[in-house]
Amino acid sequence: MVVSLTSGVAEAARKPNKTKKAAPTEVKKVAPTLPAEKLAKVRELLFGEDDQAALDAAKALGQSGASNAYEPLVDLLSVGAPPARTQAAIEALGGLADPRTVDVLEVYAGNRSADVRRRAVKSLAVIKDDHVVAALLTALGDAAPDVRAVAADALAARKESKAGPRLLELVKRNDAGAAPALGLLATPELVPQLAELQGTVDDNVVAAALGEYLKRDDVPDPLRVDVVQTIGRLSGAASTAALVEYLAAIPAKDDRPSKKVAQKLVDEKGTAK
Amino acid sequence: MNRTVVIALIAFASGCATSAYQRAGSSEDVASALAKSAPVASRPANAAGKPLVFLALGGVKGPRLAAYDLTAERVLWTQPANLKARVEVGTDVVVYGAADALVARDITTGAERWSHAIARDERLLGYTIDGSSVYLSVQKGGAHLHGGVGSVVALDAATGVRRWSHEMSSGDVGAPAARGGLVAVPVQSQYVTLLDGKSGDQLAQVLSSEEAATFVRALPEGLFFGSHGVFRLSPATAAGSRKSDGYGHATLPPFVRPVYWFDLYRPEQGDYSALDRNRILWRMTPDGAARFRDDLTFVHNYRFFFGFDARTGALRWAYNHPVSEAVASADVGDAIAFVTADGDVGALDTRTGRRLYAARLPGEVVRGATFDAEGWTPAGKATTTPSLSETLSTIVWDPDRRFWDVKMFAIEELARQPGREVTDQLLKITEQEGLPPAVYQKAGEALVARKDATSGDLLAHALEAHADYADGRTAPAVEILARAAGAMKATAAVPALIAHLRRPETSPAAATQIARALAAIGGTDALPALRDFVTMYRADPIYDGDPAPLVAASEAMLTLGGPAERELLLYLAEEPRTVEPLRVHLRRALAQTAGAAGVAASSTSADE
Repeated sequence: MVVSLTSGVAEAARKPNKTKKAAPTEVKKVAPTLPAEKLAKVRELLFGEDDQAALDAAKALGQSGASNAYEPLVDLLSVGAPPARTQAAIEALGGLADPRTVDVLEVYAGNRSADVRRRAVKSLAVIKDDHVVAALLTALGDAAPDVRAVAADALAARKESKAGPRLLELVKRNDAGAAPALGLLATPELVPQLAELQGTVDDNVVAAALGEYLKRDDVPDPLRVDVVQTIGRLSGAASTAALVEYLAAIPAKDDRPSKKVAQKLVDEKGTAK
Repeated sequence: MNRTVVIALIAFASGCATSAYQRAGSSEDVASALAKSAPVASRPANAAGKPLVFLALGGVKGPRLAAYDLTAERVLWTQPANLKARVEVGTDVVVYGAADALVARDITTGAERWSHAIARDERLLGYTIDGSSVYLSVQKGGAHLHGGVGSVVALDAATGVRRWSHEMSSGDVGAPAARGGLVAVPVQSQYVTLLDGKSGDQLAQVLSSEEAATFVRALPEGLFFGSHGVFRLSPATAAGSRKSDGYGHATLPPFVRPVYWFDLYRPEQGDYSALDRNRILWRMTPDGAARFRDDLTFVHNYRFFFGFDARTGALRWAYNHPVSEAVASADVGDAIAFVTADGDVGALDTRTGRRLYAARLPGEVVRGATFDAEGWTPAGKATTTPSLSETLSTIVWDPDRRFWDVKMFAIEELARQPGREVTDQLLKITEQEGLPPAVYQKAGEALVARKDATSGDLLAHALEAHADYADGRTAPAVEILARAAGAMKATAAVPALIAHLRRPETSPAAATQIARALAAIGGTDALPALRDFVTMYRADPIYDGDPAPLVAASEAMLTLGGPAERELLLYLAEEPRTVEPLRVHLRRALAQTAGAAGVAASSTSADE
């Protein structure tokens, strides 16, 4: 049976939306289009009785890169499917990164299953659409650490500085998944607040955040020195790892002061062991 | 042996020709005894007629007894005294039980007047004062409530000299009460023996045939006895029939401990104890049937006082004393007088609960108190009286975590009060973290029941909150708020309900209530969310066991939607991966509504 029925999200996906859902012109220009017969056949597989065939069809659609590949996937999600097909369809949409799928992915980002939410947030994360940022910021408040971590990484990859304060709140709650993202997004004003968490938050979490911060190119070296010294005062393996990773990231000929301080601290930590 | 068995055996024994209780229950005897008693004025017992309170003090200064003048607001005297039982007040002396004696002190100075020793083989069961005489019940030999010889002894209140002694028919005797020259003594839980205060002669015996008589109580308006209720001593109650109009029983809510007076068979209740802080306060009309004065009874529950309509149990007023517990209280006629553990002395208007009087004994620890303030009506200092709903709110929000039963009652009563502010208070309870689940439940049920159509915006505001791990916020009580929204037809709450339906933390039970609420409100804006909910979960095996949320959401779609929703539901009903219980429900629901849908469809096309 080929489904022509639509739910709320399918309707939304099909309607042209001038404000946020118009596909980027470059997608229209370069992406191939699946022929109608092919699309109909894949749709039948997606909705058919053979579970494995449905999963394979979803995967193939996700890998096709076709500009209309999202349609049967959105249709499937719009009428609902058993968990395995749902997850496969969501992952496939991640492969397509089509802005027209934002609505359906947002619906599934509110699913009761943390696994479904994680996949939906991950697929949202790759879509280049401003509307996605709000969904990712919302996902930082998810009860599941995996979902938060995916959202945090996505926001960091997008360099969304708006996420900084919420990521700091997560780090204050010992959320290890948020720490690297915070390091990547933290403004210089946030760094002292992060450093002050020493003693109230797991040192490894603070070290992970500061370690990422150190590796950024946009940080002035005097501030790096302060951060290196802060990391040096932290206990746990993560603080040593952060310093070692920092040293590894610096070109051999670079003789910045923070490198010397970091090297000294690594040596001291090694001696102490 | 339990008290019921004792009563049965006694009832059998009373039929015997040789029984000491042969005339028990004689209304003629009781009438004759009452005729001998003198009328009693409604005024304090002390000769000066001043409203006084006698305070058992503790703390670093050691155990003491103090007399406090309520009108002058000053301590009259304080004496070292190790009280083992409560103070009874007479004309010129006060008496109290000490370790091995009954001690009398001068009422004006506190100086010891006399001491009546209790012998080693004697047990002081209780005592009282009436005019110039002190009466005490004593058991010699035997064990508590069993065996030995019971007797009532009369002493001259001024000197402590023995006037007479009357040997009772049993050693199982309780503390006496006396009024107008008539002494009433509970015996074997079922009798009240009436003695002539002057001679000690037995005048009559009451047979409390339908409930144990654990107390006798002397008040200006009469002599009373009973346990679960109150009998006014009269010829009509000589045989203790609860059917007579001489029996009174207040209708009170379940949290109230039904203690009308102390159990006089239990000497430990003769001392100040927790029982003084948690009991019923009552007075009767001056004569006639046993009817509570102004049809009111009062409940003292530690820091809280409540006035109830004795006939219906309806709450008339409430008072919440801040911080400290009232350790003693008394209904002195038109006022409820009380003293707190940290030395606050207060009085409340019996009709309104308004605070009439406030005085303080700074730096004192009060263990217990006896009021001699009959008829005292404090002048009534100007105080603002909070509304009943305000007082009930303070009880609900009181930080003291011991009184959940009272708080539950306060929520229940709060819900009966009108006004948006009450709805707001109930909503705040549902938002408060750390309360016992039963409290949330009670507040939520109250919200649902009140159907306050004027407060939809408040409900919508409460529903706007949602869980957020980063912000450390938990979800509101969506399930109950949704029920309330449906009951209120709160249109303003629709956007928030939609948002919660789409959120992952919304439980299936809450989703069910949201869907029902949206259908009840007529929230057609929710159709896309309802469609998404049904489709997203319709093939999720997690709903195989309990499809209630899906059923509720699909019902809401049928109620609110049109042909497009029916078409979708028809598809889901036939689609094999839809969980079976939902398919079954959809087929039935679609069949039942097929006619109506057809009519609606043709009506729509005709309109077009």
